[in-house]
Amino acid sequence: MRVKSILTEAKQIERSIALIKLGARLQVLESETDLSYERLLRLYKEVAGKSPSKGQLPFSTDWFMTWQPNIHASLFLNIHEYLNKVAALDEIDCVIKAYQLYLEQIEAQSLEPLLSVTRAWRLVKFVDNGMLTMTRCASCGGHFVTHPHEIAKHFHCGLCHPPARAGKGKASGGIRMH
Amino acid sequence: MNADQILLEIREANLSYLMLAQSLIRTDRDQALYRLGISEESASLIGLLTPAQMMKIASGNTLLCRFRMDDDMVWGLLTNHGKSAANDSTSRLHASILMAGRHQEAA
Repeated sequence: MRVKSILTEAKQIERSIALIKLGARLQVLESETDLSYERLLRLYKEVAGKSPSKGQLPFSTDWFMTWQPNIHASLFLNIHEYLNKVAALDEIDCVIKAYQLYLEQIEAQSLEPLLSVTRAWRLVKFVDNGMLTMTRCASCGGHFVTHPHEIAKHFHCGLCHPPARAGKGKASGGIRMH
Repeated sequence: MNADQILLEIREANLSYLMLAQSLIRTDRDQALYRLGISEESASLIGLLTPAQMMKIASGNTLLCRFRMDDDMVWGLLTNHGKSAANDSTSRLHASILMAGRHQEAA
């Protein structure tokens, strides 16, 4: 489907610019706008000043289940759900705005933003498809990204019950447990 | 603090709150809903306030904004009471996840 309205096109370009600035991969733009590949490529080079990275997108849900990424993903998804509930936003705008808020929060804590905007976008798709969901932690009551059909009664999040060696790493910008 | 002083300070706090809220709403309405934890309707009202209206609303003997964490869990994480094992910024992150999960309060 090609774009007909100039206004719609302007809006899509604006969205694309926001996504490129956040570091989105070209595939995200292709899927979320009706702009042609050639135009997106040109836009990408203009905004980012370099060619987009090539190769496949990360496609596995496993990444979201590892300890640190899970915490990052859960923060983003909670913000996303919040915006989804209180504001009437298009799906992709919701991802953009939630991701900006996530970045802000992570940077304020001087942590490394492990979740890229492309992964954040994938995460929302995974949740829409029912491949991932959020489960309430039985200890703290917070909602965390999990596989579907997690047994809610016995679920404890990675912050309440961190795995044995979690948060002991020396790398800066990581989540520490002490 | 005597009564006059209390009123003065409450007015001051209310006024700063309203001005901040209004500029947040005007900058990015949807993100402001998350930041302020208010409903769409309240946001529209605050967004349209004139300075004179703000002055009027701000004076009074009660504060206009209220606490967003009224349970022990979030409170404990934010103040680092209870569990001292976890790192400060990790506790803060945990609290953020819990607080972001509470959209029912905004509705």
